[in-house]
Amino acid sequence: MKRALLLLLAALAAAPLAPGQPPVQPVRVTHDNRDFLQHLCWSPDGSRFLVTRIHAGKMGLWTVGLDGKDWKRLLPENEQPHFDGHWSPDGKKIVFVYDRLQGTDGKLQIDVMNADGSGKQNLVPHVNAFDESPRWSPDGKEVAWVSTRTKNQEIHVVGADGKNMRRLTGDPAADNNPAWSPDGKRLAFCSGRAGNFEIYTMNADGSDVRRLTRHPKMDYWPAWSPDGKRIAFTSNRDGNYEIYVMDADGGGVRNLTNHPAQDNYATWSPDGRRLAFISNRAGGYNIYLMDVK
Amino acid sequence: MLLIGRQAQRTCQGVTRRAFLQVGGSTVLGLSLADLLGRPGGARAYAAGSARSVILLWLWGGPAQLDTWDPKPNAPLEFRGPFTPIATRVPGTRIGELFPQIADVADSFSILRSLHTTSNDHGVAGTVGLTGSDTGAVNLGGAAQSGGVRPATGSVVARARGFRNPLPPFMVVGGRLHQGKRAIVGEGGGPLGALYDPFRLEYDPVHGTRIPALQLAPGLTPERLTDRRRLMQALDGAQRQGELLHAARAIDDHRAHAFALLTSPAARRMFDLTQERPELLDRYGRTRFGQSCALARRLVEHGVPFVQVNWSDHVEAEEDSGDGGWDHHYRNFQIMQDRHAPWLDQAFSALMTDLRQRGLLETTLVVAIGEFGRSPRINDKAGRDHWEHCYSALIAGGGVRGGRVVGESDRHAERPHERPLTPADLAATIHHAVGITSEQSATLGVGVNGRVIGELF
Repeated sequence: MKRALLLLLAALAAAPLAPGQPPVQPVRVTHDNRDFLQHLCWSPDGSRFLVTRIHAGKMGLWTVGLDGKDWKRLLPENEQPHFDGHWSPDGKKIVFVYDRLQGTDGKLQIDVMNADGSGKQNLVPHVNAFDESPRWSPDGKEVAWVSTRTKNQEIHVVGADGKNMRRLTGDPAADNNPAWSPDGKRLAFCSGRAGNFEIYTMNADGSDVRRLTRHPKMDYWPAWSPDGKRIAFTSNRDGNYEIYVMDADGGGVRNLTNHPAQDNYATWSPDGRRLAFISNRAGGYNIYLMDVK
Repeated sequence: MLLIGRQAQRTCQGVTRRAFLQVGGSTVLGLSLADLLGRPGGARAYAAGSARSVILLWLWGGPAQLDTWDPKPNAPLEFRGPFTPIATRVPGTRIGELFPQIADVADSFSILRSLHTTSNDHGVAGTVGLTGSDTGAVNLGGAAQSGGVRPATGSVVARARGFRNPLPPFMVVGGRLHQGKRAIVGEGGGPLGALYDPFRLEYDPVHGTRIPALQLAPGLTPERLTDRRRLMQALDGAQRQGELLHAARAIDDHRAHAFALLTSPAARRMFDLTQERPELLDRYGRTRFGQSCALARRLVEHGVPFVQVNWSDHVEAEEDSGDGGWDHHYRNFQIMQDRHAPWLDQAFSALMTDLRQRGLLETTLVVAIGEFGRSPRINDKAGRDHWEHCYSALIAGGGVRGGRVVGESDRHAERPHERPLTPADLAATIHHAVGITSEQSATLGVGVNGRVIGELF
């Protein structure tokens, strides 16, 4: 009986995802135990994932199909480290962090490229600070990102043309992981201003900051559902990294993964019915899919 | 002095080897003739301590003490950072929240919280950390400290233990340690000679275990390694005196023997981590460091006295095969929570559990340490800078009692408050654990200016 159950679970884990048929429980999408994956992002047309991958000693951005096949490296192998990409709303561009290695340090900057990896150009130049977590606004006109250019880790916004930079947050604690609401009116983000990382939201101009989570452990990597009603996030409140979901006002917090492994970097499907995330529950780091009720 | 040469060659196994043999009037590979003719394989046996083996987990770049083993929850935000402490299995002992699995095996190890060193330069502090002394250390600008470099602790253990086991007595898993483009000094035998340099293995998730380098005699290709006639011809060609030739033969007997062994099918099986249960390798983490720790366990299980696992070749966070070192001048907290902390948490806790379950922890001393700590005050790039004044380490097994905290830092972890400890103290403690007495250290010329941390035993 036990063996039969194990075989059934193994078959479920190995079964390809049928189109339009959401999984009952987390289903493993990729099957590579060798590479580290992080920063998962679902494409706007729902056909591919964008992910940071350390493969053969190189950190870079890759895309992969929803069946876990067709891995594509976006920039050439000899490019310097780059990571944490985000699709533009029309799926034609990707904004990401590029690390120019100089001397003994990396110089982080925000770059943009076409979705096939061509046409790389700088959006936010390096200014003796680090820049990371770029996120395209839902209308494609702006990019929110995190920078220490004001001598503290704050969330900023810049036009998609690289002009009109402005700072949104101004707290002495670190602010990170901006995530636009689907209507573009608010941003969720994580901040250490309460003493540990919690999830907050604010208006797109930085006003009306509201704290959503209240737990002594870390809450971070918020991801707004496409209908704007829920926010998924990562928390270690049960001792290890899990994917949680809550209402957009902070109520109804639920642990979706409940697994002793690391579950992290949730991203919503465009139809809002599923979440993908990265987990090492099978040993290596892989992409998983789960239904969200 | 005759500089015979350097060579690099790729074999059908994809192994790149470099050869460098320097034959001088009185030294060969840095060994005195007396040392050479004494043949370490025939050296007298030294008394063994509780530790039959040592695993040094070298966290290159310098982890932040406040974010790892010495959290300061009552310090102001600009010091303590965003992470909170968590309870461990040991009542009263708390560590950073990013290490829940290590917290769960806290009864296996002790924490040193009052280490301090003499330099905030990676190169110099690295040399101090590996040798217990700053003599001969070279800083980022290339300036060398006065005096000759001392042997690495691994080389000292190798010298004391000798070549009793067919395997080399000092092995490093990981590439050579660098600061910028410059390899640091102190990772080898120093005055003990190249014979006590580590044999190096490298692991990466794509290729598995590799033997990246081997010192060879001039004119000796890897394919000819076991062809002693050609070796002697090569050395005869140098027209050196017979005594010197004999000395060189002694070195190459060991090197060739070790290489032959390392490349043998039996050794390859030993290095082949697929021989382990996949579930066990999963526990270590499918990362370069995690699997390197699993490999280190296999090596000590096969009797290697000293294994050093290098977290990275370089200190910088984003370089070095994508993993990066612990030199988090910027993005410290993001990198810690994304990569470094989960990887170390998984690997170290798995190593503790694995050694304990195999009955090896009592005879294997494990030390996890970097070359220094990081500045308690968070800088303006959400990072922490170099900090030589106070840092922490974990130490376990080999006679060390678990669950203890030795030393205490001040309220911001800026300076030792009680029981200041130095890398030389740690080196002396390792010597003690493996059974090297001060008299033996003096006889070998490998003494360090430190005291055994007696509270650990």
